[in-house]
Parts: sequence; C-alpha cells; structure tokens
Amino acid sequence: MIDAEDLERRFHSLSWKLHPDNFVRASENERQLSLDRSSQLNDAYRTLVDPVARVEYLLGVAGMRKEGTKKQQTPPELLEEVFELNESLDELRDARASGGSAAPTAGLRAKLETAQHKFEASLAGLDQELARVSAEWDRALGSGADDAAQIKLMERMNEVLNRRSYIRNLVTGVRQELVIRDR
Amino acid sequence: MPKTVGIDLGTTYSLIAYHDAREGRPKCIPGPYGSPLCPSVVSVDKDGSIIVGQAAQRRLLTQPERTIYSVKRLMGRGPSDVQDELKIFPFRIDPASKNVIRVRLGDRIFTPPEISAFILRELKSWGENYFQDSVERAVITVPAYFNDAQRQATRDAGRLAGLEVLRLVNEPTAAALAYGLHEQKRGKVAVYDFGGGTFDISILKLISTTEGDIYQVLSTNGDTHLGGDDIDNALFTLAREEIRTQGVDLAAHPETVQELRKALIAAKHELSSADRATVKFVLPDGGAQHNSIYFREIGRAEYERWIRPIVDRTMAPVRQALADAKLAPAEIEEVVLVGGSTRVPLVRRTVEEFFGRRPHAELNPDEVVALGAAVQADILEGGVKDMLLLDVTPLSLGIETMGGVVAKIIPRNSTVPASAQELFTTGVDNQTGIDLHVLQGERELAKDCRSLARFQLKVPPGPAGLARIEVRFLIDASGILQVAARDLRTGEEHSIEVQPSYGLDDAEVERILEESIEFAEQDFSERQLIEARNEADTVLRATEKALTREQAEAPDELPEEERRAAEDAVAALREAVAGSDYKRIRALVDVLNQASLPLAERMMNRALATVLEGKKLGDV
Repeated sequence: MIDAEDLERRFHSLSWKLHPDNFVRASENERQLSLDRSSQLNDAYRTLVDPVARVEYLLGVAGMRKEGTKKQQTPPELLEEVFELNESLDELRDARASGGSAAPTAGLRAKLETAQHKFEASLAGLDQELARVSAEWDRALGSGADDAAQIKLMERMNEVLNRRSYIRNLVTGVRQELVIRDR
Repeated sequence: MPKTVGIDLGTTYSLIAYHDAREGRPKCIPGPYGSPLCPSVVSVDKDGSIIVGQAAQRRLLTQPERTIYSVKRLMGRGPSDVQDELKIFPFRIDPASKNVIRVRLGDRIFTPPEISAFILRELKSWGENYFQDSVERAVITVPAYFNDAQRQATRDAGRLAGLEVLRLVNEPTAAALAYGLHEQKRGKVAVYDFGGGTFDISILKLISTTEGDIYQVLSTNGDTHLGGDDIDNALFTLAREEIRTQGVDLAAHPETVQELRKALIAAKHELSSADRATVKFVLPDGGAQHNSIYFREIGRAEYERWIRPIVDRTMAPVRQALADAKLAPAEIEEVVLVGGSTRVPLVRRTVEEFFGRRPHAELNPDEVVALGAAVQADILEGGVKDMLLLDVTPLSLGIETMGGVVAKIIPRNSTVPASAQELFTTGVDNQTGIDLHVLQGERELAKDCRSLARFQLKVPPGPAGLARIEVRFLIDASGILQVAARDLRTGEEHSIEVQPSYGLDDAEVERILEESIEFAEQDFSERQLIEARNEADTVLRATEKALTREQAEAPDELPEEERRAAEDAVAALREAVAGSDYKRIRALVDVLNQASLPLAERMMNRALATVLEGKKLGDV
C-alpha cells in the first residue's frame, strides 16, 4: 500500500529537478544524464503508481514471480463461464469462416457481453484480494514476521496475479470481438 | 541576440510565434500580407525558385502541377501508405520512390521533409525580418498522435531549414500551455484538437506545486488522417457526383478541380456562421444540357448530415483517451477547442454534449498552438522557470518476437522520457548478428503495427546462448526513439546501424543539406539579384529626373565634374544591372548615390528656398 498523493508529490518534485527541459543549454554529458535519470524516474513512478505493477515488481525483486500453467490459472468458480465463452467464440469463428458477417450476431453479442461483465466483476474481486493481501504484507513487515510468513504471503500474491492475468486476457479477447462492426 | 521561436507546422496553415518578455505573453509574427497565417502551400517556379504561402496558394489554380498543399499528410510515410490519399489528393508521387516518398513539382523532385523545410524557411525569414536578427533555434509542434517516423521527418525538415530544433511538442499540449497561461486554471483538462489533416485528443492534469505549475498529460489519442480536409473531400465528392448528372465528368478536366475545391471551402467557412451558403462553379465546356454553371445552395441541416460521420469518427479516440486516463467525461473540468475545424457548429455541439459542458474557444483556435510552442521555447531557454510540461508517448513501443508477435516494452501513455531494457542472446552457435525489428502500435501482430526500424546487433562469435547484449530503448522528450546497445560481458557499447523504415537516414539528410545549400545559394543569390536590380532601378530613375531638372532649372549650378561623375556612375550601374553580380550592382548603387549627393542636396535647398520665399519674413 502506498500513499498515492505522497508518491505523486515526490514524483513531481523530482521531475522539476531531473527533467530535460532544464538541461537544454547544458553540456552533452549533463543532457544525457538528465535523459537517463528522468526516464528512470518516470519508469519507477509508472511501476509504483499501479498496484498490480507494484506487486509484480516486489515479487520480481524477491524472485517470487512465477507464472502458472493454464490449468492452475483458471479460477475454478469460473470454469463454466470460460467453457461457455469458448463455445461462443467458436460459433463466431465458424460464422466468419463460412463467409458470414465479421460482426457477432445480436444473440452472440449478448452472450459475449454477459461474459465480459462477469469477468470484469471477477477482476474487480481479484483487485480487492490483492489489496487485502498487500495490506497483510505491510503489517507482516511492520511486525517483523518471519520469512516463512512473508513467503506465504508472496505466494498468495503470485497466485492472484496469475489469475488476474488470465482473466484480463479473456476480457481483452472478448472486447476485441465486440468492437468489430460491419462497415 | 538570436531569438528562439515556436512554430506550428500545420496541415493547412503554419505560424511562427515568440515570447514577448516585456509584455509577458506569447505573440504570433505577421507575414508580408499582415496575417500570421502562412498557408502550407509550396510552389516551384519554372526557373526553379520556391514560392511559399499566399502567393503559392494562387498557383494552386494556375499551375497545379507545380504546387502542393497538405504535405503534412505525407510526412513519415511510405509510398504504399499513401495510396488511399492519392485518390483524393493530387499528390504526384514519383514512381522511383522506395521507402521515402518523392514528390514531383514541375520538373523537380522533393521529399516531404524538403517541402516542409521550404515552409519553415519562409517562416524563419518572417521572424528574421521582424526581429532584424537571426532566428536559429525553434520548438516545432507535431500532432500528439504522430509516430516516431513522422516526428523524425519533422525534425529533419527543421534541420533542412537551417533550424536547431530544441524540442518537438505535441499540439494539444502546446495549446494547453497557452491556455493555462491565459486562464490560470487548475484541474483536469481535455484538449480537442481538430485541424486540417489530423485529430488529437489529450487529457491533462494542471497542478500547482511549490516550484510552479505542472502540465501533466495523462493520456493522448487521435487519428493522423482525420481533419478538415476530409470535410472538404466529402463536399467535393458530392459536388462531383451532382456535376456528373449535369453531364460533365470532372475527371476529364483536372485543371478545374482546385477552383471547385476553393468554392466548396468558402461555402464550408460560410456555413460556420450562416444557415446556408451558395456554391457557384463555372463548368468546363458545358455538358449534355449545356448548363454552364453549377449552382448549389447548401443548407446547414443537409451539410451536417453529410459531415456527421466524420465528426463521429473523432469520438472513438476521445473515449479511448478517457478510458486510458481512467476518467469519466463528467470528471473533466475544462474542455479546450483547438484547430480551425472546431469552428464547425456541429463539432462544438458534439463536444459540448459529450462532456456536458461548454468548451473554451476564447483563444484563436488557429494561433493557440503556435503561442504554446513559443511558451515552451521560452521555458527551454530558461526564460520561464515555473512551468513544467510532462508529456507522454502516444503509442506502445514493441519488438517483434518469434511468430510475428509483438512484445510491448514501453506502454502507450508512458511519461517521456521513458526507457526499457531488454536482454538478447544468440540462438545458434557462432551467430554474428541479432536482428531486431522495432514497432509502434497496440496490435498483437507485427504486421498490424507500424514498423519503425530494423537494427542488427553485432555479436562476437561463440556458442549459442552465451552472448548477453543489453539493448536500451529510450524515448526522449520529443517522443523520438533512441537505441543503445551494450555487451554485458565486455562492458562495450555496441554501435547500431539503424535502417529507418519510412524516413531519411542521416546520410541522406546530410546529402540533401549539401545540395540544398547549393540551391539555397542559388535561390538566395537570385533573390539578392532581384532586390539589387530594384534598388538600382530606383536610384537610376531618381538621378535621371534630378539631372534633367537641374539642366532645366539651374544649368549654371551644376559643375562639369559633378555632372560627368554622375553620368559615369549611371553608365557603370546600367552595365552592372545587365549582368548578374548582385554585389557589384549594390556597390555601384552606392557610388551613384555618393556621386549624386551634392545634386540632391542642392535640389533640396532650392525646394526649401521656394517654400521659404513664399512666406513672409516674419513667419520663419
């Protein structure tokens, strides 16, 4: 967990110092340094400001980021929805292959939209889960919990990230299909 | 003291502005006709001299095969990209064009950066004339949605025009700077920039910190081929069809196309304030019905029906930009309209309805981008110290991996400067090079993204998987990509040979610069010659007149040596004028001026004397 306002304040403060705008008339070395440092600053801010990226980074640094297999990733409570979604997508592909319109029919569209909403709800749930585990992690650090406890928390975070990644791919896939309209 | 300027290099109009320190605000510099708007039109005369601006605009009608407009549409693109454009724009692409477009104007051939450089040089001369000092450094604006190749082409144009381009600034951001300075507002701002050829939407956050004001771009989106030109083309297509029903096929009369276009554009402008407009166009040799005029009254409602699809197209990027900024339309506190096409009432209504608030257009939509560029120029020169611009890259940067899939390494809307590191190694034993293909875009597959460049990393021979080459991709504050490679095992910096996919590489820019300096000398000399001859003309006529009068009025007062000196000088000057050495002409103009000075003084005294004579002694 991070105080977003404080983070932004620090980001802005460092930007004033490092930004290439201040070094236009400086020597080549200073210009290049400014470019390097400010890009590092921007990258760091981008990583820290997004809760998911932050956790990814944390796990990466600790060597705990492991992507799971597909089987592990599919949340059991969503198995049915995923199955139905795959059916709908197959239908859509068949329609296209047989020379039908590229856009989904009204019926298919409704099914896809339902799937999209369900998965987006799952994503929201996972984000909350991630926030909860992150808070626990902060507490564990603060109270000087042992390595085993920390590792367990990081494993849990890793799991959440994997599920999240899987579901997000599903949502993106569905969105792409829905966006296709006949011209 | 050379001045640093801000330049808006627009599709339809270009402008140059500077920050007036005394008045504490940016100002546009007027051109020879008094207007700060320079039409982005370039024409090549039969003798090879280049004409830019209003004078070139007239030649669109009289010599269309030597004249080009909207060259911005060709910047940073390859010949195959612009095939669609050719259906509606009369660009004459040379068949020899490979990865850089070459355009034919008369019997000369130019690349789009060269043509843009002519426009920049014209603006540069406006600035130099205004300041009576040289203009060497500039901030040039680009559409926020311009990709790397388009940005590089713009920077190349600056170089070719003899300008040091300090920064490329995104047009909506520049407008926000001008607007922010003017309005002193804070909060979330949407800039809707609908110009002649491009559309941009940027979402910004304006924040006050202890150090000053920060203009932070949250997201940007757009369409680099959507603008007022599309409205013109829609009207043109409709008109052409109606004219066809009158029995005339305009395809057979290409020379009349520009006339019709001009009439339609006038009607379009009229329809921004009036309910109806009339188009009158003389048909080339009457058709079956021998109607010699195409006369069409266009009503506002009908016009809006025609252009609605074009205006609607602007809303998809708006929605995407808001989604990327994680904001709802209602959360935007200020909406700013930029670009001439935002004068269209339908555009204003659509934007107002979408955001639920009336958009700002107090600043002249044609000038605001140039003014903002001038502000940024001042910031860079250290004039203004309490404003900071944090802009973003509009497109994701990626590398092509196996299977033709793109791996994104810098996501879109990342604050610039932005960087990413990737580690590469060899796949087979003794492999000596690793090929990289860098792209921009949001799609999964490389073939659907925009190819930026291909590199080859040189690798020392060794077993597969041993090499460790770290490549650093850096997008600078102008949104342009820099690449550096380092061999992690040796610590050596590796050189990278970049093959730009759609642009001029450094060697070509150098070559064009060298050639253009020759041409520039020529163009420059020609202009000097014309000016020198004009000066000579003036002084010759004045001297002749003076000599004649002197002979008539006071022949005794003209000493023989003086008369002879003057006549000799006149003869020498006439001879020089017949030649082409402008320096010699100038020198002899000076000689004649000197020789005829006593003559002029005497004439002056006599004139005064006559005046004084007429007065009573008491009045003097």
